[in-house]
Amino acid sequence: MTGMDPTDLHRQQRQAILDGATARAVELARRAIAEGASLTDCIDLGYAAGIREVGRLWEEGEYFLPELVQGADAMKAAMEVLRPELLGGAAEPREELRVVLGTAAGDIHDIGKTLVGTVLEANGFTVIDLGHDVADDAFVDAVERERASLLGMSALLTTTMPAHGRVIERLRERCLRESVKVMVGGAPVTAGFAEAIGADGYASSAMEALNLARNLLGVSR
Amino acid sequence: MTTDIEELLARRTVLLDGGFGTALIARGLEAGGCTSLRNVETPDVVREIHAGYLAAGSDVIQTNSFDANGPSLARHGLEERLPELNLAAARLAREAVRQAGGGIVAGDIGPTGLFRPPLGTSTAEEFEGAFALQARALAEGGVDYFSLETFSDMEEAKLAVRAIRSVCDLPVTACLTFDRKKRGFFTMMGDTLEVAVHELTEEGVVAVGANCSIGSDAMLEATGTLVAAATIPVIVKPNAGMPRLEGDRAVYDQTPADFARDVVKMVELGARAVGGCCGSDDRFIAAIRTLLGPKGDA
Repeated sequence: MTGMDPTDLHRQQRQAILDGATARAVELARRAIAEGASLTDCIDLGYAAGIREVGRLWEEGEYFLPELVQGADAMKAAMEVLRPELLGGAAEPREELRVVLGTAAGDIHDIGKTLVGTVLEANGFTVIDLGHDVADDAFVDAVERERASLLGMSALLTTTMPAHGRVIERLRERCLRESVKVMVGGAPVTAGFAEAIGADGYASSAMEALNLARNLLGVSR
Repeated sequence: MTTDIEELLARRTVLLDGGFGTALIARGLEAGGCTSLRNVETPDVVREIHAGYLAAGSDVIQTNSFDANGPSLARHGLEERLPELNLAAARLAREAVRQAGGGIVAGDIGPTGLFRPPLGTSTAEEFEGAFALQARALAEGGVDYFSLETFSDMEEAKLAVRAIRSVCDLPVTACLTFDRKKRGFFTMMGDTLEVAVHELTEEGVVAVGANCSIGSDAMLEATGTLVAAATIPVIVKPNAGMPRLEGDRAVYDQTPADFARDVVKMVELGARAVGGCCGSDDRFIAAIRTLLGPKGDA
């Protein structure tokens, strides 16, 4: 089967997300697998590029909730096709690379966070994803229970961001702060905010999160 | 004083009330709970807030029933208490206007928090059922009209109007909530001011407008468009400035005087009913009343 030119494939994948075209996004994902395309490139340059653009158009007031949700649905569907392939090729997860992920209390946004989880898992991390609307103590309990070396928290609302700071406080109170690295992300989150609350790092995309995770845990490629 | 909102709107500028959630939080009642439960658990506080707005000069007070629809109550496990909470809300407001010697009681109806496709799976029937149930209870409690507020989906608001009018003859007013984007004002779903005004008017509301999400400066910008598009009275109920996060609390910085000056400009542009939303309290209403002048009713 002749492979599609990668640039063309990524452009079509990106467009499928922009159009909220779930069936097309899925078909392109299947095609990528069948043609042996680089799946991480499909995510980074195709699908994730699409959802980032959807987010930008939402910020600009060009896209509204229906478009946002349709784009997110197409993204989730494509990722569901790609996930098993990504994990199938992944190295055995290393015990010391245990990561707890979740979206802050009161916040239901999870696309970016789930994407980070998938990318980390595809690269040898063991990911415990607590989902969205995770209570402060639930994060801390999970870090303790799972003996996580990394905690990743996401928030998409300015009203839920403060939870990140509270969780770091709770980690300190429960004498867990030194045992775990903390990274934060999400649209309103900034490097400045991360620093102010005492997080170890901030990432604005799944690939950045992967690099950050590797740096924080001293893992080479 | 009349209890007929249409008549009052025809006669003069109507002063609505201010934020209720804000008032509850100011009295130490924690944010995030079921606000309409206050009607039963702390009725004195609710009476006090209503009395405050009437004393400050409001022509209309809205019942504390914003979240007293089935789906919203269900999130707190309180769905079975829908009739009780709405009746209590209406009765407390009625008592307050009686004590104050006059005033109009608006049955406040907020959105369900449910979404139609593609965001969610809720059907028109579900929406209409929820609003009809709440409207009946508020009507039984004796409200003078219904005030739909803070809807972000024009379609949901239209379904609400339809549902209410199917069970009750009382007048209905509707406000959507708009964000200011680069290209103009839009609801989260992408509804524009003009389309909202036209379509809600077609559903039969007696007044239409915007509340919440934006401060008085942005609302002033929206007023012109609303008035130009409308053939019925326009309602504007802005927030008292934009909230600033102080630790975990939302703080509103705008002064009552600045707010009132903007609101009076909205009246000059043609708005017929004005008030305040989040962050506003009786000082804001009093400031508007001072600038509008006394009610001057017979």
